[in-house]
Amino acid sequence: MEKAKISSYQLFVLMVLFQLGSALLVPIGMEAKQDAWLAILMGMTAAFILMYIYDGLYRYNEGKPLTEFLKDILGNFLGRFVAFLYVLYFVYLAARVLRDLGVALLTFAYPFTPLFVVNGIFILVVIYTVYKGVEVIARTGELLVVLEFLLAVTFIILIVVSGLIQVSNLKPVLEEGVLPVIKVALKETVYFPFGEVIVFLMIFPYLKQPEKIKKVGIGSIALSGIFLSLFMAINISVIGINLTARSHYPLLTVIQSIELTGFLERLDIYFLVLLVIGMFFKISVFAYAAVTGAASVFSIKKPSRLAYPIGMVILLLSIVIASNYSEHISEGVNIVPLYIHLPFQVIMPLFLLVIASFKYKKKSKTADEK
Amino acid sequence: MKKRPSIKKRRTKNDVNSGISSVDQSNHESVECISSSLSMNIESIKKRTGHSPDIKFRKVDIGKNSGMKSVIVYVQGLVDEITVTDFIIESIMNSPRFSSEIMPQEAIGIISEEVVSMGGITTEEKWDSLYLSLLSGDTVIFVEGSNVALIASTQGGETRSIQESTTNTVVRGPKEGFTESITTNIAMVRRIINNPDLWVESMKIGSVTNTDVSIMYINGIAEKKIVGEIRSRLKKINIDSVLESGYIEQLIEDGTMTPFPTLHNTERPDVVAGTLLEGSIAIFVDGTPFVLLGPALFIQFFQSPEDYYNRFFIASATRFLRIFVFIISLIGPALYVAVTTFDQSMIPTQLLIMIAAQRESVPFPAIVEALIMEVMFEILREAGLRMPKAIGSTISIVGALVIGQAAVQAGIVSPAMVIIVSITAIASFATPSYSMAISARLLRFVFMISAATFGTYGIIMVFILVLVHLCSLRSFGVPYMSPLAPLIPSEVGDTVVRRPLSGRKARPKLTTADNKIREGEHQKPQAAKDTGMVNAFYQKRGKRGSK
Repeated sequence: MEKAKISSYQLFVLMVLFQLGSALLVPIGMEAKQDAWLAILMGMTAAFILMYIYDGLYRYNEGKPLTEFLKDILGNFLGRFVAFLYVLYFVYLAARVLRDLGVALLTFAYPFTPLFVVNGIFILVVIYTVYKGVEVIARTGELLVVLEFLLAVTFIILIVVSGLIQVSNLKPVLEEGVLPVIKVALKETVYFPFGEVIVFLMIFPYLKQPEKIKKVGIGSIALSGIFLSLFMAINISVIGINLTARSHYPLLTVIQSIELTGFLERLDIYFLVLLVIGMFFKISVFAYAAVTGAASVFSIKKPSRLAYPIGMVILLLSIVIASNYSEHISEGVNIVPLYIHLPFQVIMPLFLLVIASFKYKKKSKTADEK
Repeated sequence: MKKRPSIKKRRTKNDVNSGISSVDQSNHESVECISSSLSMNIESIKKRTGHSPDIKFRKVDIGKNSGMKSVIVYVQGLVDEITVTDFIIESIMNSPRFSSEIMPQEAIGIISEEVVSMGGITTEEKWDSLYLSLLSGDTVIFVEGSNVALIASTQGGETRSIQESTTNTVVRGPKEGFTESITTNIAMVRRIINNPDLWVESMKIGSVTNTDVSIMYINGIAEKKIVGEIRSRLKKINIDSVLESGYIEQLIEDGTMTPFPTLHNTERPDVVAGTLLEGSIAIFVDGTPFVLLGPALFIQFFQSPEDYYNRFFIASATRFLRIFVFIISLIGPALYVAVTTFDQSMIPTQLLIMIAAQRESVPFPAIVEALIMEVMFEILREAGLRMPKAIGSTISIVGALVIGQAAVQAGIVSPAMVIIVSITAIASFATPSYSMAISARLLRFVFMISAATFGTYGIIMVFILVLVHLCSLRSFGVPYMSPLAPLIPSEVGDTVVRRPLSGRKARPKLTTADNKIREGEHQKPQAAKDTGMVNAFYQKRGKRGSK
């Protein structure tokens, strides 16, 4: 662990940027049809419970990152092994997000540029950032959140002013009852993007006021959930559910449909900036967690040294992860939530929480007896 | 492996003692202390200074008939010669206080206490410090038979007078700028802050040049840790010469591998006073009008002293403009390159057609065009700086004609490119701090190249990279991007905008010690509640009218 401290506001900003990151750009909860925005809100509510689990887990091991306290809970060998799995999980997710970004750039702006080059440039900046440490990531977040916020607000104003919103596209609400929406929420939206905040278990120890973790976590999930739901509602109401579900980047389609006074049009750059900033924080946080995690698994004293090799692993993995985009997407929808997110985000933390609570009880008991 | 540290050790030792060791070489018999023999003292000074003719020895008899002899030594040009003749030579020669009974040791005391009617006078026994004061313009008085010398402070000679500063000009505000003399400069700040808490510490840096360096801060406002940090970094400097404050800046900054300046410099006493009040520490270096200020924050480089003299609406608008303009000067040409080569879809169709039509006859890709123009402009700027002033106008005419007109007509560059480059050029001059403007100048080329290879994506990536780099910088331990990142809500009012002075309750948190309150309560100006004055006037007029 490096010597660093971040404020609760910085953590909040980082968590919001992290969750908005890629979720803002890709369609999520599409199985719920025009109720996708509701599915996001429900996923958010379910994510509150996850946040409670993570916070409880952290309470038992205050001041230690996930990969460190795994050793305490599960013993040295097994702990290290599970910690290593988590490192792989973070690396894999970083690679997935990087692939998303690269493909998005290739499809809408640079059709003739190789994926490797686009991803390579990105990972270089990420490596530099991770090398500089968590304080720098947090500070950069503070600056760029202003830009992201300004973009979002002007985007909403532009959409409203150009009169594209047709609320009828959102109707009928809950056409087939609540159940299908809840199903989507539990199957999909709770894990992506909200459940991924488990990665912040690697960053909580740097917080100046550790008692604020629950507040910050819940608050950030709520804010980004409302934001995502709002954007999804805008997407559906502007281009309709059919186009939203079929489009790879519904937000891009919406942005492209803005046309004002014959001058404000083709605002693709909006999408580009949102895309790059969001993805940047998502990948940086994952990469940072992977780097510090790997350093603690293999007992390396200077974690920042691992930034370069792990960055390269992420880059290569992002290329070989899938042979084409359809495969990548179908993995993302069918395999990742159930077989990867569920165990790492829900089952394992719950399991750990149970063991930790037993251990803690025993300890306090023995302490009482003494 | 074992040998290395010992060599290093010896070398540093030599560096430290280089001034003294050369004394030993040139003058073997002389010891550290001065002797009681006049002729020996004269001889050793002459030997040590290589018989330089500008070091004057004036033999003077003490009193009219005491029979004691003395020698007055000074450096011509460094001293105020009128003071030396009027207050030292004449008073020693004509003093009636001396008689033949007085011992030489007593004579020293009498001269300093009763005869010489001057301000600064001290005694000295050691050669080292004697040379330091002699060569900085003091006058040394030796008395036959005494191994103590008197040192009278007679610094003077020709220096530049106080003039309007040339680099940081303002429309409203004090016009005076610092000079090359450190004492004048310190006095100019003292004249602004009349407070005993304004503390100055001085030291000599440079084993050969022995340059005077002073740090100035307000006790109670400046953070003690930062003062200590600056002091220790200055003490650590072991270099032969300090010719300008830039030497100090480069030796004490937090890191060299950055294009951004982490110490502020200014030529204006009011800027120094203003930043001292925010807890900064000023470093004065003799021989240069540029005073260093640290810790420096990124946002400080966009503050002009005028921001605080103008009313807040105007000040905020100009502050905002400056930051906007700085971004233009960074990415202006890069954006043009990116838009014309990659993201044509971003420009409205009409404009795109116009630009395409202009670029039709241009044989180069946009990046080459942009590089030609930018390099051309840099050449012009550099040449304009180094030119004798009389020829300066020639450069501007040639530049304007060749670049503005001929290059377009010859079809080498497109008119749009000329517009972009000129906007960028003007924008780069709008940054108040020259050192920040140069870093933008450098980074502009990085942005251009990234734009040429990756379009807007490249620009955004380099932008993020620069931002990350800025966030990782520190100036004497204070985060460079504060109060924006880490965010300090109470201080954001003096960054992109400048809040009204009546709302500036506290000093910056990170740089100040105990004294944090800037102003009392209820400072907001209010209109008079009683409008009686005006009403009375109208009432009177009304009465008169009715009569």
